[in-house]
Amino acid sequence: MLLQIADLHARVAGKDILKGVNLEVRAGEVHAIMGPNGSGKSTLAQVLAGREDYEVTGGSVTFEGRDLLTLPAEERARAGLFLGFQYPVEIPGVNNVYLLKAALNAKRKAAGEPEVDAYEFLALIRQKMKFMQMSESFLTRGVNEGFSGGEKKRNEVLQMLVLEPKLAILDETDSGLDIDALKVVSAGVNSLRDPARAVVLVTHYQRLLDYIVPDRVHVLSGGRILKSGDKSLALELEAHGYDGVLGAQVA
Amino acid sequence: MTRNLQTSAPAASAAVRSFEAQWRTRAADSLSPVREQAMMRFLKLGLPTVQDETWRYTNLRSLAGQSFSDAPRKTRGDIEPHASLSLLNANERAATLLMVNGHPLLPASDTTINGIEVNTIREFSRLEPKLMRRYLEPLSDTDQQRFTLLNTALFVDGLYLKVTTEVATPLVILHVSTGDGLDTVAYPRVIIEAAPHSKATIIEHFVAQGEHTPLNNSNTLIALKEDSQLEHYRVYATGAGATHLDSLDIRQEQGSRCKQFTIVLGGGVVRAGLEAHLGQPGATLDSYSLLVGHRDRHVDCVNTVTHGARDTHSNQTARAIASDASRVIFNSKVIVNAGAVHAESRQSSRGLLLSPSAEIDMRPQLEIHADEVKCAHGATVGRLDPDMLFYMLSRGLDRDTAQSLLVYAFLADVLTDMSVHSARASIENALISQLPDSQVLRNFR
Repeated sequence: MLLQIADLHARVAGKDILKGVNLEVRAGEVHAIMGPNGSGKSTLAQVLAGREDYEVTGGSVTFEGRDLLTLPAEERARAGLFLGFQYPVEIPGVNNVYLLKAALNAKRKAAGEPEVDAYEFLALIRQKMKFMQMSESFLTRGVNEGFSGGEKKRNEVLQMLVLEPKLAILDETDSGLDIDALKVVSAGVNSLRDPARAVVLVTHYQRLLDYIVPDRVHVLSGGRILKSGDKSLALELEAHGYDGVLGAQVA
Repeated sequence: MTRNLQTSAPAASAAVRSFEAQWRTRAADSLSPVREQAMMRFLKLGLPTVQDETWRYTNLRSLAGQSFSDAPRKTRGDIEPHASLSLLNANERAATLLMVNGHPLLPASDTTINGIEVNTIREFSRLEPKLMRRYLEPLSDTDQQRFTLLNTALFVDGLYLKVTTEVATPLVILHVSTGDGLDTVAYPRVIIEAAPHSKATIIEHFVAQGEHTPLNNSNTLIALKEDSQLEHYRVYATGAGATHLDSLDIRQEQGSRCKQFTIVLGGGVVRAGLEAHLGQPGATLDSYSLLVGHRDRHVDCVNTVTHGARDTHSNQTARAIASDASRVIFNSKVIVNAGAVHAESRQSSRGLLLSPSAEIDMRPQLEIHADEVKCAHGATVGRLDPDMLFYMLSRGLDRDTAQSLLVYAFLADVLTDMSVHSARASIENALISQLPDSQVLRNFR
């Protein structure tokens, strides 16, 4: 089991948001977590990534058998967990590529590998950028600085492709994308699919799942996963809405 | 002439009495009338106290209790060759002029270096006594001017530079303080005149050779004539025991442009004043302050920019960081005189606190006496943005590295506007060495 979440409770700014989340993700799987606004999807993503001001009040999370919750955010990242942010922050003055190189080297260092060669790194990033249809100007810009919403999301996926995480949690990576960008981003995510990795997609829309076909779909509502199923659950949600599918459980 | 002055009030501090004693040792010279006037005014004003508006944050009580004597003169042989500590790499360095404990040590022959006429103030005042007296008269009577008055009274000699043409390579003035005792005082004085249509870059770099360096009471005057351009740096890189009471006066004529960088990377107590007068239409000043509080350093930066004519422009960008138990104050005042219509000024002051016991005060002020002016100011003091930090941590970066990168990015607004690349690189290096995890940060560049 790659990721095992058991009865996870978390609180943000004094408010209980997650109220007993259970989820198991195996290597090789793609899971989609859907749910109405305010259901706790983003909180779950941030808690998994190690945001300190989100307080875990109960339950457990294990990642490859390790207790994830005791690790600081940077160690989770080095262990192979990646969060694609819903709202990637702009960091003017910190070069986009420098950050990526530092991230890759931090991971390699943790794995006992040597630092990446500057030339090789540039070749790697150029190749990935081409795949993500990003212009070379991204090499010289500050992290997400002045990027459009769509560019920021591509940049998140670019980082993911370079870092090759074991588990990628993508928080609404599809929101704000036009159809062409959605295809590019989906291709990026699909290229990472392999038997050793897993992806958790947090999304509002079934549309993304036409491009990245999930193995499992979960509906998170009121801080709990109320329903799980295969990809047909997403279609059902699309057709009937959360109320229609969850019925009395929501209330 | 007589050296007898009306002496200071009986309550005068030990410091003031010692300055008077120095005054009595000075030989008469062609500048004596203006010096005497300055000394009288200084004695009348006395040392500033925290009751003085612009000295609220810097208490000179312990300085007042000390007696100071003149820091010794040195010869070239006394100065370590690599005391050059130069900010510039070899291929960019035009020339380095040496000032040691305030005394210019010029090569005997050269009087012109790449289009910059170099002279001592003494020598120049023999040639042009009237002009020199005009340059030495203080601009205003404010309490900020006291130490300029003291400098005027007591400096023995200084540097006079005249830029006559467009000069491509920067000129460095290396101010060396030698470790001859904390009870000594130096009075470095520099006058820079940029002739009409001339252009140059001048870097003043304050460094120490030894630990117990003199009190540095320095003043630089920059006079920019019509359509001249000057990029000026003053970089403080002395040791933790050093005290600087430095002031910079900028007088700008029609269409002149001044780009000024004040960079505090060293010193224990650094008081850096800047007074700029945009006296004629079209004068533009871009002032940058990069203030680094480290350990228990105290940095007090006071800028006063006066728009004295129409269509004058000023931009002030200040970035302060304070770690450990340091304190940084940035006080900037823009005055738009009556008649200075269409003046434009912008002040952007930002402070970043890196430790709970550090303190930053940012006080932008505006005083507008004219119509149709555009003035904007913003000041913020905060801590590192937790969202930015989390983003970087979530990518696997060490906390120290992430913090250093963010600090570095915070200062980028000032660094990127430096035109002298090797100076910028040296400044960045010195800066980085005062940030946590400096080695990692070095690898980034």
